Amino acid sequence: MSMERTSRQSFLGPESDSKIASVTVGVVGLGGGGSHIVQQLAHIGFRNFVIYDDDVVEDSNLNRLVGGTSTDALSELPKLFVAKRVIFHLVPDAIIRAFPLKWQECPQPLRECHIVFGCVDSYQGRAELEVSCRRYLAHYVDVGMDVHGSDPPVVGGQVVQSSPGGACMRCMGFLTSDRLAKEAARYGDVGARPQVVWPNGVLASTAVGLGVDLVCDWTNIRRPAEYLVYDGNKGTITRSITLRNLNLEVCPHFLTSDVGEPIELEL
Amino acid sequence: MIEIRLNRGLYEAMLTSLRRPHSFAYERVGFAVARRVEASTGSSLIIVSEFIPVADEHYIDDPNVGARIGTEALTIASRRIYHGRSRAEGIFHVHEHGHTGEPILSRTDARELPSLIPGFKSVGPTGPHGLIIWSLDNASAWVWLPAEGKPLQVDKISIIGAPISIVQRRSS
Repeated sequence: MSMERTSRQSFLGPESDSKIASVTVGVVGLGGGGSHIVQQLAHIGFRNFVIYDDDVVEDSNLNRLVGGTSTDALSELPKLFVAKRVIFHLVPDAIIRAFPLKWQECPQPLRECHIVFGCVDSYQGRAELEVSCRRYLAHYVDVGMDVHGSDPPVVGGQVVQSSPGGACMRCMGFLTSDRLAKEAARYGDVGARPQVVWPNGVLASTAVGLGVDLVCDWTNIRRPAEYLVYDGNKGTITRSITLRNLNLEVCPHFLTSDVGEPIELEL
Repeated sequence: MIEIRLNRGLYEAMLTSLRRPHSFAYERVGFAVARRVEASTGSSLIIVSEFIPVADEHYIDDPNVGARIGTEALTIASRRIYHGRSRAEGIFHVHEHGHTGEPILSRTDARELPSLIPGFKSVGPTGPHGLIIWSLDNASAWVWLPAEGKPLQVDKISIIGAPISIVQRRSS
């Protein structure tokens, strides 16, 4: 990648180009959130991608799918192809391993990622991604948005960074047994959730910002964990109260020694 | 492609331990417990889960080398491999060279350290065993995988934390 190409981001540090190029990033889910994320990662200069999505482009995606076109919807192009096209147009020599599957059907490539961006719909999906990232030592950055109510509708969302050694999504109060149980109880009845492009853009940009800081350390903040809450009606992002008040030495849910493939032992 | 990965907390604890002065040894050594996991075809990911420093009293006073350790230290390492057999754990000899840049095996390292591996393999034949050398800003590592008789040089060593640090072998 030419120096000229990244000259406007030189504040990221003198070695930022090589640091960015050496990292493998994973993006799971290439819809409203994930499509923004791959585009931004490619603009920044990330070269090694592992991406998963088993869906195709439909008309109803075009209000938010970055890179998606009406032709793609007509031809029911896999979202994976849209993401690859966006990346290759920006980084022609990118190394993209793309899987038209759920990541659980082919989990090995995800293990090579240093940062995984999760753009999945369910809490259970998030929990499973976090477990994988902890076991194989990767940062997990979760992105999600939702719209509640109608008078007026409330647009909200979150970006959560769960990193090995730091507080996990349970510690931060984002994943709770209650949320997981309620979601399991309405399994198969989720319906089409409202989604729009600009909150996805805000959340994806925030997530990418966290990812770039993990690689380049340009802010010197060095976050062991992060939980940012988006209020789409006010247009604000604030650190979650739970994380602010969390006084945690060690995450009790993921021990440092619990890494690698789980082993089944006879009792 | 072979990558060793460890979290930053463990890395910092390891370096802090290795940099403690010893009453007569010029440098310290330790053992890193690691597991190999399946990544993509042709790739190996080795994840470090624990660091075992060599106790002060298990060094042997030998002014000809930076550090010489006794059989007690090797017994502790072998015992750890034995107890980790069900998890296919292996062990890496770890020490630091006090310079910057990519470290290489010193003449003493090359002569003495590989001879530890057959003993490790005999106790834990399914685990990855090897050597890690840190420098002040870089690292090199070699691994003997279960099916390999010869060591392979590790291509990438990643420290996962805030920030992420990745050192890559120059030729990879």
